[in-house]
Amino acid sequence: MERAYVFYVLEKRISMVEKLEKLEEIKRNLLDEICSANTQKDAEQLRTKYLGRKGIVNDLMKLIPTLPIDKRVDFGRGVNSLKAEIDAALQELISKLSVQPVSKVKAELFDITLPGKPPFVGKKHPLTQTIDDIKGVFASLGFDVAYGPEVELEYYNFEALNIPTDHPSRTDFDTFYIKEDVLLRSQTSTVQIRIMEKQKPPIRIIAPGRVYRPDTVDARHSFMFHQVEGLLVDEGVSFADLKGVLYQFIKAYFGQNVQMRFRPSFFPFTEPSAEVDISCSICEGKGCSVCSYSGWVEILGAGMVDPNVFKAVHYDAEKYTGFAFGMGVERITMLKYGINDIRLFYENDLRFLSQF
Amino acid sequence: MKISYHWLKEYVAFHLTPLELADRLTSVGLVVAEIKPVEDDFCLDIEITSNRPDCLGIIGIAREVAAIVGGSVQFPETNFISVNTEISKAITIVVEEPVLCPHYTARVIRHITVAPSPDWMQKRLRCIGLRPVNNIVDITNYVMMETGQPLHAFDLDKVAEQKILVRRARSGEEIVALNGARRALFHDMLVIADGRKPVAIAGIMGGKETEVSESTRNILLECAQFEPRQVRRTSRSLGIASDSSYRFERGTDPEGIDRASQRATRLIKECSGGEITSGAIQRTSGRHETKKITIRMERLHKVLGTEIKRDRALDILKRLSFKMLNDSENFIDVEVPGFRGDVYREIDLIEEIARIYGYDKIPAKTSVCVRGNTKSKAEIVEDTIRQFLTGLGFYEVKTFSIVDASPLQSVNMWSDRAGIDIANPLRQEESRLRTSLLPSLISAKVYNLNHGTEQIKIFEIAKVYLAGNKLPQEKNCLSLLVDADFLTVKGIFEALLRNLGIVLQCEWVPFSESRLFQDGRASRIQMDGNPVGYCGEASQALGFKAVSCLVEVDHDLLVEKSNSAKKYQDLPQYPAVFRDLALLVNEEVTWSSIEQCIMDTRVDFLKEMKFFDIYRGKQIPAGKKSVAFNLCFQAKDRTLTGEEVDNAQQKIVDTLSRTLGAELRRA
Repeated sequence: MERAYVFYVLEKRISMVEKLEKLEEIKRNLLDEICSANTQKDAEQLRTKYLGRKGIVNDLMKLIPTLPIDKRVDFGRGVNSLKAEIDAALQELISKLSVQPVSKVKAELFDITLPGKPPFVGKKHPLTQTIDDIKGVFASLGFDVAYGPEVELEYYNFEALNIPTDHPSRTDFDTFYIKEDVLLRSQTSTVQIRIMEKQKPPIRIIAPGRVYRPDTVDARHSFMFHQVEGLLVDEGVSFADLKGVLYQFIKAYFGQNVQMRFRPSFFPFTEPSAEVDISCSICEGKGCSVCSYSGWVEILGAGMVDPNVFKAVHYDAEKYTGFAFGMGVERITMLKYGINDIRLFYENDLRFLSQF
Repeated sequence: MKISYHWLKEYVAFHLTPLELADRLTSVGLVVAEIKPVEDDFCLDIEITSNRPDCLGIIGIAREVAAIVGGSVQFPETNFISVNTEISKAITIVVEEPVLCPHYTARVIRHITVAPSPDWMQKRLRCIGLRPVNNIVDITNYVMMETGQPLHAFDLDKVAEQKILVRRARSGEEIVALNGARRALFHDMLVIADGRKPVAIAGIMGGKETEVSESTRNILLECAQFEPRQVRRTSRSLGIASDSSYRFERGTDPEGIDRASQRATRLIKECSGGEITSGAIQRTSGRHETKKITIRMERLHKVLGTEIKRDRALDILKRLSFKMLNDSENFIDVEVPGFRGDVYREIDLIEEIARIYGYDKIPAKTSVCVRGNTKSKAEIVEDTIRQFLTGLGFYEVKTFSIVDASPLQSVNMWSDRAGIDIANPLRQEESRLRTSLLPSLISAKVYNLNHGTEQIKIFEIAKVYLAGNKLPQEKNCLSLLVDADFLTVKGIFEALLRNLGIVLQCEWVPFSESRLFQDGRASRIQMDGNPVGYCGEASQALGFKAVSCLVEVDHDLLVEKSNSAKKYQDLPQYPAVFRDLALLVNEEVTWSSIEQCIMDTRVDFLKEMKFFDIYRGKQIPAGKKSVAFNLCFQAKDRTLTGEEVDNAQQKIVDTLSRTLGAELRRA
C-alpha cells in the first residue's frame, strides 16, 4: 500500500507537476499517521517506513536518475525538502512521546506522598565498619595493618607475652585448646610478638582479628569476638605518647566532646598498664545503667611494652620503648550505637544489619 | 574483694565519703565496681588485679589509702598471754615438702568455748557478704579478710597421733572437704595429714572430719605459705576453689604469717576464752630474700614522658612502704616490702610512682614522628570486594568460626583431611573449626527466613581451617549466598573478577557435593587447572522454596591474581556491526565449545560474542536445541563493509557446522 505512492510517482506518463503533487500527498499521509502514533515504537516504525534504507524517501531518490535531466533539479529539491520535513515531524513526534502526555496527568491525580520504591541496598557488617573506622584513624597516624594466625602456639599467646604457665593471670585468659601447646588465640596481642620477631624497630601496627574465649554466650559474652591490637615501638616513646595517640583516636571515633580517663591496671605484657575509660555517651557522664552509674565506660587496655616482652623478641629494652593497646570491636560498636546484645552481631538478621 | 568502709577506718585515718574513697581508689588502680549500703556501714566491692594479692586484705587497702592521703597504717593488736604448757607436747609438725610449703606455723589453744562470735565481728563479716558460723571459724575468716593471710583451725582432738605432716597425697587416698565434696587425691597434690590420713587439702580447704564444731574444745591453728602454682593446679584439678586458694594462688606475704597467726590467737582468746599454749611451732625453709632495686630518674622521665620531681618520687615510694637505702640526684635505691611480690624491677617502681602520681597528670603528647602508612594488596582487594558486593545489594555477615561436627558442617571442599576439633569445647554446638563458610551462610538464610525476610543476598570473608602440620592452614574464603539462579550468580562472580582486574579465563567443571548443591547444577571453578572456588544452586534438600545459589571462593588466590593496574583503551572510532545468529545443535554441545570453536576460527574484526538464549520448542527436533547469540564486528581504522562482515560470519558458520554439526536457523 505505502509503496504505491512511489509507483504513482514513478509512472512516466504523469506530468512533473503531478509528480510534485504526489510528494505533497506523501507528506499529508505521513502527518495523518503521526497523529495516530502513540508509542515510541510507532514512531520508530514510521521512521523506517519513510526514511529507512528501503523506505519511501530512498525510493524517490533512486528515481532521480531516471528523469529527464532538466526535471531532475526540481524533483530533487522536492524530495529533499520532503525528507527534511518528514525528519522534523518525526523528531517532534519522538520528543513528544518521550514525555508523559499532559492529558494523562490531568486524568489521574498523582499522589506524590506515596512511598518511594526501595532500591536493593547492601551494607558492610557493622563490625567491619568499626574496624575500617579504626584502621582509618590509625592509618592517618602512620600505622600499618598486620595479621596473625588465629590457631596459635601457646608460646605466642602466653609465654612470650610474659604470662608463664600456672601464672594466676592465666585465669583471666581462659582458652580453647586444640592440643597440648596449640590453642585458639584469646587475644590479638599474639600479633605483637610475631611482628617483632620479624621486624626491627621502628614498628607501628594495628592488628584486627577474631579471638576466642570459652565464655558462655549471653547478652554481654560471646565465645568468639573481635579485637584490634596496636603496637608502637621506637626510641624515646613514652607513656605521654600513648596518651596522645589514644586521645587522637578516641576524639576521632567518639567525637570531640568525649572525656577520657586513664586508670592504673595490670596486664602481664605491659608495665605501666592502664585501662582507658571514656565519658558515657548514653548519659553524658551523668550516670546510667550502661556505665553502672559511674559516668565512665571502659573501652580499652593499654600500657608500655613490658621489658620481658622485649626480651622474648630480642629487642634492647634500654634502647627502645613502646606502647601497646587493645580494644574489643564489639564493645566499641555497642557503645557507639547503643546496642544492648552482643549476639545480634552473629545472628545476621537483615533487619539489624540494615541499620548501620 | 569486698571491704567494709568502717572496718577500713580502723587501720587508716581519712576524711573521704564512701563515694570519694571509691574515686580515689579507682584512680590508683583499685577499681571500685560497686558501693552498697549495708546496715549502718558501706560495702565497697573492689576489683583486685592478679598482681596485687597484698590488697586481698583490708590492711592492704589501708596501705593504699595511706599512700593516697599521706597517712600511716595502724596495725591491729596481736599480743596475748599464754600459759606455761609447751606446744611441742601437744603436737608434732613435719613439713616433708619444704618447696611446696616454705612456711608453716602452728599454735594450740585449749579449753575454748565454741559459740557465736561477738556482734561487732558478725556485723563486719555480714557487711562483706560472709555468713557468720561460730567464733572460731569467724575469727579465721576475719583475720584472713583483715590481713590477706588465710588461716585454718583443726579440732585438735580429732587429729590422729597428735601429728601434722605436710606431704604429698598417696595413691588411693581421698578426702571429704568442708563443703561436703568427696575427692580422690593424687601424688601431685599437697595435703595436710595427721598420723593416718589427709585432714586438709593444703591451702585450699580443710577436711570435714577435723572441722571445728560446737563440741570442739581444743584447736590447732594453722597459718602457712603454700607455693602458688601448686595450689592453682590442685584447685583446678579437684574443682575446688576457696577464698584461701584464691589468695595462695596469687602469692601471700611470708613476712605476714606470724603476725596473722598471733592476731587470730589473740582474738580466739578474747572471744572464746581458752588457754594459749606457749610458743608456736614454725617450720621455715630457705631465707626470704629482701629485694633491692635502683630507679634512675632519667629512666623514669623517659618512660613516662614527663618530669616528676625527685622529692615527689621519693615521697610516693615512702608512702608505699618502700625503704630508702640510698638516694642521689640521679637515682634512688629502695628495699621492697615483703608484701609486694609484684615489684622486682625498675619498671615496676616506675609504675608505682606513676600510679600514685596520677595517670591523669601525665600530659598527652603527640611527639611521635610523622610516618606514611601503606595498604597491603590483601587489604585493597578485600575493600574492593566489599565495595563491589555491597554495591550490588549484598549484606556482609559475620558467622562463628567454631561450629558443630554435623555432616553439613563437615563439608570440606578444600582438603581431604578432617576438620580440627577443639580439645575443651564448652558445648557440642561449638566444637570444631569450620572447613567451609557455606553451612553458616545457610543458617543465616534460615534465620532470616524464620524472621520474615524472604529474599537475601549475603556474603562473608573469613577463614576456613584446614589440617596442617603444627598449625593448621588458615585459608581466607569469600562466600556468597544469593537468592538467584546459577547464571545470575555466575555473572556476579565473573563481574567481580573483572573488577579485580583478573583476566585469566575460568574453567567451569561439573562438581558434586550433594550436602550443599543440587546435582547437575554445581561447578568447580578453575584457573590454570587450579580450583579457585565452587558455585552451585543450593540442594533442594536444604528446603528453600525459591532457588538460591552458593559460592565459595579462595580469597587468598583472588588477592594473588588480582591486578589493580588499569590502562585506558581508546574508545572505538568506527561503528560496530552486530549480527544475531541462531544455531541448531545437539543437546550435548556446550556454550563453551561453541565459544572455543569461534575463537579458534580467528576471524578478523570479531570483537565480542554474546550468548542470549537457548530455545527448545515445537520447531526444534528432539535431541537438539537452538542456541542464539550475537556477534559484534568492529575495526579500529575504518567502517566495515557489509561484505566483509558477511564473509566473516560465513566463515564462523562454516566452522561451527564442520566442527560441531551446527545448522544455521535464521539470520
